[in-house]
Amino acid sequence: MFKGLTFEPFRLPEEAESIRGEVREFLKEELDQSVLPNSDFNAGDSAEFSRKLAAKGWIGMTWPKEYGGAGRSFLERYVVTEELLAAGAPVGCHWIADRQSGPLLLKFGTEEQKNRFLPQIVAGNYFFSIGMSEPDTGSDLASIRTSATKTEGGWLLNGSKIWTSYAHTNHFMVTLVRSEPASENRHAGMSQMIVDLNDEKVVVTGIKNLAGEEDFNQVFFDDVFIPDEMVVGTPGNGWEQVMSELGYERSGPERFLSAFRVLVEFAREIGNDPSDEQLALLGRLSAHLVTLRRMSISVAGMLESGKLPSTEAALIKDLGNSFERMVPEIIRLAVPGAASRRFVDTLNECILHAPSFTLRGGTREILKGVIARGLGLR
Amino acid sequence: MNEQQRLIKETLHRLLTDLCGSDIVNQAEAGQFPQKLWDTLTETGLTVAGIPEASGGSGGDFDDSLLVIREAARFAAPVPLSEHFMAGLILSDHGASIGTDPVTVAAGDFSIDEQLRLQGSAENVAFARWCHQIVLVARSTSGLKLCRVNCADVEIVANNNMAGEPRDSVVIDVTLVPEEVFETDDAVLNKIRLLGAVTRCMMMAGALDSVLELSVQYSLERSQFGRPIAKFQAIQQQLAVLAGEVAASTMAGHAIVSSFDQLDELDIAIGKARIGESVSSCTDIAHQVHGAMGYTMEHSLNHRTRRLWSWREEYGNEREWQIQVGKAFLEGGADNLWDTVTNRR
Repeated sequence: MFKGLTFEPFRLPEEAESIRGEVREFLKEELDQSVLPNSDFNAGDSAEFSRKLAAKGWIGMTWPKEYGGAGRSFLERYVVTEELLAAGAPVGCHWIADRQSGPLLLKFGTEEQKNRFLPQIVAGNYFFSIGMSEPDTGSDLASIRTSATKTEGGWLLNGSKIWTSYAHTNHFMVTLVRSEPASENRHAGMSQMIVDLNDEKVVVTGIKNLAGEEDFNQVFFDDVFIPDEMVVGTPGNGWEQVMSELGYERSGPERFLSAFRVLVEFAREIGNDPSDEQLALLGRLSAHLVTLRRMSISVAGMLESGKLPSTEAALIKDLGNSFERMVPEIIRLAVPGAASRRFVDTLNECILHAPSFTLRGGTREILKGVIARGLGLR
Repeated sequence: MNEQQRLIKETLHRLLTDLCGSDIVNQAEAGQFPQKLWDTLTETGLTVAGIPEASGGSGGDFDDSLLVIREAARFAAPVPLSEHFMAGLILSDHGASIGTDPVTVAAGDFSIDEQLRLQGSAENVAFARWCHQIVLVARSTSGLKLCRVNCADVEIVANNNMAGEPRDSVVIDVTLVPEEVFETDDAVLNKIRLLGAVTRCMMMAGALDSVLELSVQYSLERSQFGRPIAKFQAIQQQLAVLAGEVAASTMAGHAIVSSFDQLDELDIAIGKARIGESVSSCTDIAHQVHGAMGYTMEHSLNHRTRRLWSWREEYGNEREWQIQVGKAFLEGGADNLWDTVTNRR
């Protein structure tokens, strides 16, 4: 009916389900049970954990074996990622490399790039950041000004990126730059380049978020030399390349599970003697969660079959983010005064991170614009 | 949706466009049964799909019946499709069969004695005044009995829900013949409740879809300040929210259809809770977008929204089902909550 708003029912196949138990076993072993878990994909990082995950073959698991991948299906990866998030595993280090940078290189990268980077990502040795936003560029991505100027054997990079998660600890950043001056076609003349974050001309400055953590940064480039072989895809084709990632970026379980641990702690808190009010609330939120997951799996099925459901993905992210924002705000009122420390800590942690849910990866306003386009309104 | 279902949907849309326009819905609300619509729908055989042929059904898949119920609700079709389907399934479970004249289901307080004298009453019996028979469950000294009663033998007091759909009161005092009384047990009561919820979920999903379509269409046609209101961001964002809620409702409906063979109680509870909840914001947005025009009897939006407000209350409103979902998710304890989520395939 409306373009891009069709969600067909889809069931994860048995081969994907069969990996679930193994992941749970692994997590039980590896996660420190004394630390309160947090199901926000951006709230925990541990290089050690990422490397253990790599040893299990769960980073880059869908990539071809020739690049170190395991050739598993996208649906198997879905099961692994949702299990990691639900358990509150610290996935921050490898998250972007696994979800985005690797698949980008597979699609647009040169043979040399694939051979150089993919096996290292799979091994948990190379972690990637994304460089999109700039101080004057948020939702209006086409207005970026970081420039790459052609020089002998490569490009000279000048400008700055911001809100770059883990740029201070990661190894590389796939950076969207303007490689030709802005023209009438705002989307023309952009390129994606791999920046070595350890380059001495790259300066990374931490930014403290309102939770007091320094996991995002501003990254400055001052005549940073990018060799030609670090350009991803065709120079000038950056916009199209970035847009092609959105189906994967926006439809995954990380878009509705960020507040999941609050739901778990709420269930623990109301325990054996829940009121009808509390049961109804748990039921209401669970009904939302199960339905969102089914929609997300429906899109995973489309992606697996080679479709590019970017409108559906935007809708899942918008609906999922609204759910994530709603969970702590409603639950806080459903537990009377004497709540446990564990519950309060989990709740507060979520509330402090919640503003980022509806900003990162596309604000709710941008997403609603995408949906409106799908409805034929613009 | 497979090819066959696509075909069914197209055929239905043609048929309903012809036979179920706004005038037919209005006439039904004024008391006139749309006989031609009913006859045509039953001729397709799709109203009793999934019910064995030996029981008067047309065999095939339940999916087809549920699809018909959903699509008919898109047109606010004022016929007892859901009740007839429910009655057919229940009768078939008891070795009885159903015909083409409409049959409804009553949930009330009934008892039957050894001489098969059935007495009792029920409220909110859907479409009773237009039906040929009523299927109901009665207590007896030897357990529960399923009874089928001719409406000609029943005292019916007309009552409507807020959508103008018949939700009649029935008072019964009649002696039945043994062929109309069947042994049954407690499970049938829960099955009626679940089927009632399933059909309401399908109906709401269909009506919500139609509400989205109408709202998008209206926003493109209505101009203010020199341009279609669809071009204003404020309107676009509202319609995007509406689209999200409708998509979630559609998915919750799909899940019920997928597990209908087992009549999965938790999927049904999740569906009735989720879809019922979306009615509030969806009707809010749809009416806001339609402005004063949507607040009139003249515009057909009201046929959908008044039905949605009625159906969300029937067979348990969202709160009742939320509590049931909450119990199921709490059952294994907090640390098994995730497992309960992933068990919903």
